[in-house]
Amino acid sequence: MTDTPPLALDDVSLTLPSAAGPVEILRGLSLTLAHGERMALVGPSGSGKSSLIAVAAGLERPTAGTVRLFGQDLGRLDEDGRARLRRGRVGLVFQAFHLLPNMTAEENVAAPMEIARRPDAMAEARAWLDRVGLGARLRHYPHQLSGGEQQRVALARALAPSPALIFADEPTGNLDSKNARHVADLLFELVEHTGAALLMVTHDPALAHRAQRVVTLRDGRPEAAAEAA
Amino acid sequence: MIPLWMRFAGRELRSGVKGFRIFLACLALGVAAIAAASSTAEAFRQGLAAEARQILGGDLSVSRGQTRFTPRERALFDRLGRVSVAVAVQAMSEAPSGERRLVEFRGVDAAYPLAGAVTIEGAPSLAAALARQDETGGPAVWGAAVEQALLERLNLKLGDRFLVGNVTLQATAILETEPDRLARGFALGPRVLAQTGALESGGFLTAGLPFAQTARIALAPGVPLDEAKAEIAKAMKGVYRVRDRNDAAPGVSRMIDQLEYFLGFIGLASLVAGGLGVFGAVSAYVDGRKSAIATLKALGADSALIRNTYLAQIGLLALAGVTIGLATGAATPLVLGAAIQAQLPVPALFAIYPAPLLKAAAFGLLSAAAFALAPLARARTTPPASLFRSDLSGRLRPGPELIAAGLAAAGLGALAVVTAPTPFAAGVMIGGVAAAFLVLWAFGWAAAALAGRVRGGARGAMRIALANLAGPRSAARTAAPAIGLGVALLAAVVLIQSSLLAQISSIAPQTAPALVFTQIPGERAAAFDAEFARAYGRRPTADTYLRAPYFTGRITAVRGEPVTPERVPANVRWAYDNDVTLSAIGPEPPNANILSGRWWPADHDGPPLLAMSKEPARGMNLKVGDKVTLSVLGAEIETTLAVIRDVDFGSFGASFPLIVTPAALEGAAPRHVAIAKASRDEEQRIVRALGQSFPEVNVISVREQLEAATELFDQVALAVRGAAAVALMAALLVLAGAIAARAQERTREAATLKVLGASRAQVLAAYVLEYGLVGLIAGAAGVALGYAAAWPVVTQVFEATWSVDWGGVAALLAGAAALAGAGGLLASFQALSKRPAAALRGA
Repeated sequence: MTDTPPLALDDVSLTLPSAAGPVEILRGLSLTLAHGERMALVGPSGSGKSSLIAVAAGLERPTAGTVRLFGQDLGRLDEDGRARLRRGRVGLVFQAFHLLPNMTAEENVAAPMEIARRPDAMAEARAWLDRVGLGARLRHYPHQLSGGEQQRVALARALAPSPALIFADEPTGNLDSKNARHVADLLFELVEHTGAALLMVTHDPALAHRAQRVVTLRDGRPEAAAEAA
Repeated sequence: MIPLWMRFAGRELRSGVKGFRIFLACLALGVAAIAAASSTAEAFRQGLAAEARQILGGDLSVSRGQTRFTPRERALFDRLGRVSVAVAVQAMSEAPSGERRLVEFRGVDAAYPLAGAVTIEGAPSLAAALARQDETGGPAVWGAAVEQALLERLNLKLGDRFLVGNVTLQATAILETEPDRLARGFALGPRVLAQTGALESGGFLTAGLPFAQTARIALAPGVPLDEAKAEIAKAMKGVYRVRDRNDAAPGVSRMIDQLEYFLGFIGLASLVAGGLGVFGAVSAYVDGRKSAIATLKALGADSALIRNTYLAQIGLLALAGVTIGLATGAATPLVLGAAIQAQLPVPALFAIYPAPLLKAAAFGLLSAAAFALAPLARARTTPPASLFRSDLSGRLRPGPELIAAGLAAAGLGALAVVTAPTPFAAGVMIGGVAAAFLVLWAFGWAAAALAGRVRGGARGAMRIALANLAGPRSAARTAAPAIGLGVALLAAVVLIQSSLLAQISSIAPQTAPALVFTQIPGERAAAFDAEFARAYGRRPTADTYLRAPYFTGRITAVRGEPVTPERVPANVRWAYDNDVTLSAIGPEPPNANILSGRWWPADHDGPPLLAMSKEPARGMNLKVGDKVTLSVLGAEIETTLAVIRDVDFGSFGASFPLIVTPAALEGAAPRHVAIAKASRDEEQRIVRALGQSFPEVNVISVREQLEAATELFDQVALAVRGAAAVALMAALLVLAGAIAARAQERTREAATLKVLGASRAQVLAAYVLEYGLVGLIAGAAGVALGYAAAWPVVTQVFEATWSVDWGGVAALLAGAAALAGAGGLLASFQALSKRPAAALRGA
């Protein structure tokens, strides 16, 4: 493991066009995530939390500032270069799950490993689905699974390639409280197990407090940073 | 190991082809039309090739007019193989009742036919039918097999006697088919088949008379075709024509080529119209897969993997569409052939031919590529950030897909031109379709923009309709160009056909002569005029009767330079590589239409002057004052071009491409031709009366020919309109696709409108108005484009009078609006079928 942090944002701004004129989403935001660190991003709706994840994961280009993922300046990479950088090293969990609807649970989990050309993709996918308690649901399609089950598949898909960094955008936002608790437990247990760093957006204070650091965003800027208890 | 893009493509296709039904139907329809047209044409070509010997009547045929083959020539033919010589003339037949009719009178020898068989009814064999008949106890007469039409026209039955010229014949059999009829082409009257001796006895075969003689040769074993042709070329002198079994019916072959191209062109137009359906279906699919594409990108997939994954899916579906089209297109002629083969005038071998199917497949795949690749590019350019921002989607940016789409479109046009029998015309047609498509597309966008501007002034259902038309997925942009193209094609066909039909059925009977008289003996021309006037019952004027001497001759030199037909422009070569008709007239004839020069004095006695029709004159850049040498009756006459005129061969006038001063042909004893305008009653009276004093004069009823042409034209018109409707079907598919693509959105919209207090009737009216407007706008644009395409074809190509079938145009417009409106009705029923609460929950 090198000293380079998996993620470093320096003076990042994001302005997006809208019908009513440009909207400033992120304003000069700087942030570093250390290896194995678990950070929660909280803040009111529209404060730029999800946009921060999109920019940090290289899904969206910032208007200004530098994003370094595993030491690489994303500004110097094109979309394909950023996709290749994510391969096998970055896991993503979304509030809306975003499972591939025409692929089974097993294929969904295997997809990032297949893209990373791992020959053991299917075996590894089956093992991970077993770990999240869905060993009996390998051949089920997303629409045949409950919301909680879908998010567990999404967790397995994010973690199976053993990434060094996980981005989770409201991972429990679409779940009832029981399922939310189960998925949160699973997320933290697995992240701890793999040693991956975690940047998680949440509205749930209880979930945020399970992170080591909580950053509150307001109007696209960090309001305060505090060590979790 | 299966490549990853293939595995992903396979998984993506698990949801089936639900969103691709229109895609498949659009491709299959166009491919099926092209495959069916080409397969049918190939079946005819193969049929003609298989029966070429029968159609030609042997391996070789040698034809010559006005003179009989010399004994030396006959000897050469006999040396080459078995020979049958036939002669044919046009002559007047006459029943004992006095009823008369022009016939094609053909004489054959005992060897006829060398190939195939003559089908007759009423006699045991052709020989028996044509044998001299004397069972009535009177003098023996020639037996003749005649077509049913003649029996009906002359009110005869088998066994009755009748005259052709001055030859008495007995109708012994009904002539059904002759194997070589197709090679001989069009006949002006019913056919009468007899022995050559019958024509000889009637004096029809005197040298100089307009009879045609053809020797058909079945080559002896071991005599190669080319050598036989070379020997004939060496031995024969003068004007003659040789055809061989490889070119048995060139006119029919040309017609098949043209028909194939025309029907194929309609198929191609359907592919272009349906292309919007392909475009729409792929766009909708890529839109629907936006989340999956962005997810794959977020998981590390690069754009090449995305492009290949979706390209493989669309490619596979395109193959499926093309295959369905090929299967349908290959089966259609088989089924049709089984049903109507017996009634076909041309032999056909219906089978599955690979070449036409390959051509149709190439058209289908190229059109799929041209229309699917651009929206497919949006899969590659879909940003992964669209997972967070639903307003984002892939944009059309210049890239390999757009370049490939452009190349495919160019390839489609090039293939259409290369496979056409006349590449220039094909180029114009393809260019026209492409231009029309662009105009309609721009028109659709403009209509959508206009709807956006005027919606503020509208209320209620109209406002909703205009808002939808102005919206991002407006049917004005998606379906209107396809509907417009379908309507344009159908409008062009309707307008061309209605103009031509009007020309044949209404205009020509007023402007063209009703009767044409040929073979008027020159020395009795004045007597003929008098006899005609007597039968006519009124005094003929220059506007109702015109007689002129009739010659045939050839232009041999221009400005002192001998004519080389190969160097003459193809469109006017007919006047320089063949004998053309000419006359010698003193006073200026009616409707002379002089473009340059002045008509000569009626009594001009100086050096020969020439009046020439404008096309051959312009083709060789001839000006008044230029020298033109003619070969007439074996003599070379140097003339000076005095008049260039616009000859309307369909009007009442001196319709000769060449007219010389009478002094130029002084001493010749030509036969004359005459034309006359007459009512139906006058016509019958004249034909009967001339039978007494001028039995040798042939009377051609232009009215009858026009009626026959109208009937034939009506049948062809129906078939062609039916074929053109295929393009409209493609347009309807595109409309259905546009409706289907917005079904979910419509359901939510209808639910919201109902929640806001709109009644079902208001929602229904809004959608019917919206789509009805699309149909009306697209229909109007289509009719305008069809008008623009049809006008030059009618006035320039066919040189006919432009007349608009307003009823047909109105029906087309109303049909387009009604069909599109019905689509709107369907869309509204679909949208209103869900309860508002359920529809909004689903949102």
